[in-house]
Amino acid sequence: MKKLMIVLLIASLLTSLLTGCFDRREVDELAYVMAIGFDKGKTNILKITFQIAIPKGMGGGGGEEGGGGGGGDKNSMVLSIEAPTLYSAINMANTTVSRQLNTSHAKAVVFSKEMAQQGIDRYIHTLIRSREFRPNMYMVVSRTSAEEFIKSVQPKLEGNPAKYYELTLNSYNYTAFIGNTQLINFYNAASAFYSNPVATLGGVNAFKSSKDFNLNDSTYTEKREKYPQEGDFRAGGITKYGELKTEFMGLAVFDGTKMVGELDGQETSYYLMATGQYNYAYWSIPDPKVEGYFILLNVKQSRKPERKVQMVDGKPNIHLKIRLEADILNIQSGVNYEDLKQLPVLEKSAEDYIKQGLQDMLNKTSKQYHTDICGFGAEEKRKFLTWEEWEKFNWLSRYKDSTFNVDVDLKVRRPGLLIRTIPSPTSEGNMEVQNQ
Amino acid sequence: MNNKVTFGRWETITVLLNSMGIPILLGFPRGMVELGGTAGWLICIYITVLALALFYIISRLYKPFEGMDPLDLGERIAGNAGRIIVGLIFFTHSTFIVSMILREFGEDMKVIALTVSPISFVQLFFITGMIVGAYKGIEAVVRMHSVVVVLISAGVLILVIFVMPFFKFGNIYPILGNGPEKIFGTGFFRVSSFSALIIIYMVFPFIKSHEQFRTAGFWGIGLTGFFMTLVTLTFIGVLPYPISLEQFLPVYQLSRIINVGRFFERIESVFMLLWASAALLYLSFAFIIILRIFQKAFKLPYYRPLILPFAVILFTLSLLPPNVMTALNLEAIFFRSYAWLTTFLFMIILLITARFVSKKEKGRIKT
Repeated sequence: MKKLMIVLLIASLLTSLLTGCFDRREVDELAYVMAIGFDKGKTNILKITFQIAIPKGMGGGGGEEGGGGGGGDKNSMVLSIEAPTLYSAINMANTTVSRQLNTSHAKAVVFSKEMAQQGIDRYIHTLIRSREFRPNMYMVVSRTSAEEFIKSVQPKLEGNPAKYYELTLNSYNYTAFIGNTQLINFYNAASAFYSNPVATLGGVNAFKSSKDFNLNDSTYTEKREKYPQEGDFRAGGITKYGELKTEFMGLAVFDGTKMVGELDGQETSYYLMATGQYNYAYWSIPDPKVEGYFILLNVKQSRKPERKVQMVDGKPNIHLKIRLEADILNIQSGVNYEDLKQLPVLEKSAEDYIKQGLQDMLNKTSKQYHTDICGFGAEEKRKFLTWEEWEKFNWLSRYKDSTFNVDVDLKVRRPGLLIRTIPSPTSEGNMEVQNQ
Repeated sequence: MNNKVTFGRWETITVLLNSMGIPILLGFPRGMVELGGTAGWLICIYITVLALALFYIISRLYKPFEGMDPLDLGERIAGNAGRIIVGLIFFTHSTFIVSMILREFGEDMKVIALTVSPISFVQLFFITGMIVGAYKGIEAVVRMHSVVVVLISAGVLILVIFVMPFFKFGNIYPILGNGPEKIFGTGFFRVSSFSALIIIYMVFPFIKSHEQFRTAGFWGIGLTGFFMTLVTLTFIGVLPYPISLEQFLPVYQLSRIINVGRFFERIESVFMLLWASAALLYLSFAFIIILRIFQKAFKLPYYRPLILPFAVILFTLSLLPPNVMTALNLEAIFFRSYAWLTTFLFMIILLITARFVSKKEKGRIKT
């Protein structure tokens, strides 16, 4: 009996030690892919671009000046391969790269706009089925080729491009210019019968210097605005010059898994508000009393949006109520909006501004793109008892006929460190604003 | 099974919870969604109520037979032949389930972690655990349950809490999913999900009293039903129908989604630990039960000489299905349609017959 127990004990120990027999993979024998790009191939169906981490170049902590190509050790390398499928590209890449490619740390999947417009269903299933690809990877649609986009990712603050992707693509929490477009969210929205998915819009900035700035890609004229606001851009067109070439701004709108349109940064903020994913962001609201001046607010969403859908003559009538809170960051004109009598003027102005933007975004996505990216179908779905009835109802085909009733309730809560604004006097004894 | 070893209430409950709850970690939530659509979680509640009702009937019928397992009942009804027949029925039932679950765990481990290892090699880990468990005996395995099952349950609850940010209430509508007919009609057969309840019949000789048998049974079914409902509801709420139909390993898929900041990622590695612990406990205990059924059916003095040959038989049986889809299908058909026949219907018939025979015997003695 004692002998038997010893044999069993050895057998138990061996089982844990033998796990390395077949699936042994040493960390230093793996090449970690941080981003994968999908382009249309020239000689084959696909051109797959891998951004692979160079661990040696990443050492020294987060703040190290590494910069892929920006001098010093490179922290990543980019490899583009034309192949019929993703896995054939991985196979081919493994013949070049000394280490075996591993995608378990990949943070972003980048599709070129051209690919996205043709439909990406077959590629999404590959990503979802594999255990190596994380459901938390971010979906990006690049307005340039995916290869160019990935090559341009040369973070300066982060030694690790994976961290760059993670932090930048999470910035929707404080900019509201991109969405939470994790692969799992994209996939759920694409297949759920009540919504359509979105992906973050990426691009490579084209300006060679600040002298080249132009507003060709700004959307402010479409919105009948006099000046472009901070959100009136899409990735690649931001009037920005610097060492960082890549940009994330706006959303690619999909019908199923086919891209049908784009939203700019500000429309993305409205999308986040309508879906309850908005956290906080800075807004420049045109001053209602003094033209050309702005009131700067830090706007937060105080509660989840109220969403109701009613079918009127077979068409959806959607009620959306957004509740916001704001802190004043600046009142450029010096008008004393902090005064309790003036405060409602400011609140009303901000409400109207946001309400109009929301209305425009909803009309654009429903009438122009025919897509329910805000997932209002979920509200209507509650009224059905069985899935069969709901499927027959075919919400997504009806959504384009929707009418919207938007209500925004904004309350200014805090004035910052100043309780009132006193404009600086000029030598003529007037205030600057009065001189305008 | 005359033994000096006795189990407390808590130990019996944890054994039941792990044995009946093990499908939750496999394909159970998906199975519920396949039948009920968005109302898969309602089926869980429905079958729990059904299982409680059926167990109530069984426990009432069991009252005069305190400390007797189904084989003892079979012997009372028809002597040695009765014992052997009942033993073979339960033996076949358990062997089939355990071999299929062994294959499923092996395949799942291969899919999510040991992708290159051959399936036979992966299954050797589980078989070794089962052999060790069987040699250590039922007491050691049951005592182990009373601690580890608590940790596993806590792990499942933590997992559910962490995926809550992804939960959308809209996903559970339409509330009746694939329709009331599917939920309450076809759904009845899913009471087979509680087929591991036969364990409580088999361990009755180890349980102190009928009262304890009854309470442990109700608590075991109730807690299993709670976890079944909770996990299925979470699964549907996080992965909307019909996407939920696609998932091979629902709980694993849920754990992959968890992402709390940059420091708390890849929770599935913790899940795998819980999952392997639950599997080893279940397989070890079920293996002992199989051995004991065979031993008792054929009145063998010991079961230990059976351990290695039976381990080989189970191992071979588990490898018979040509692929994981066939294994899943076999298990699904059995669990969905037939397992309740042994666990509930056969037991009720057995108990009624035993009561009838007992009354007849008493009548004969009086006359």
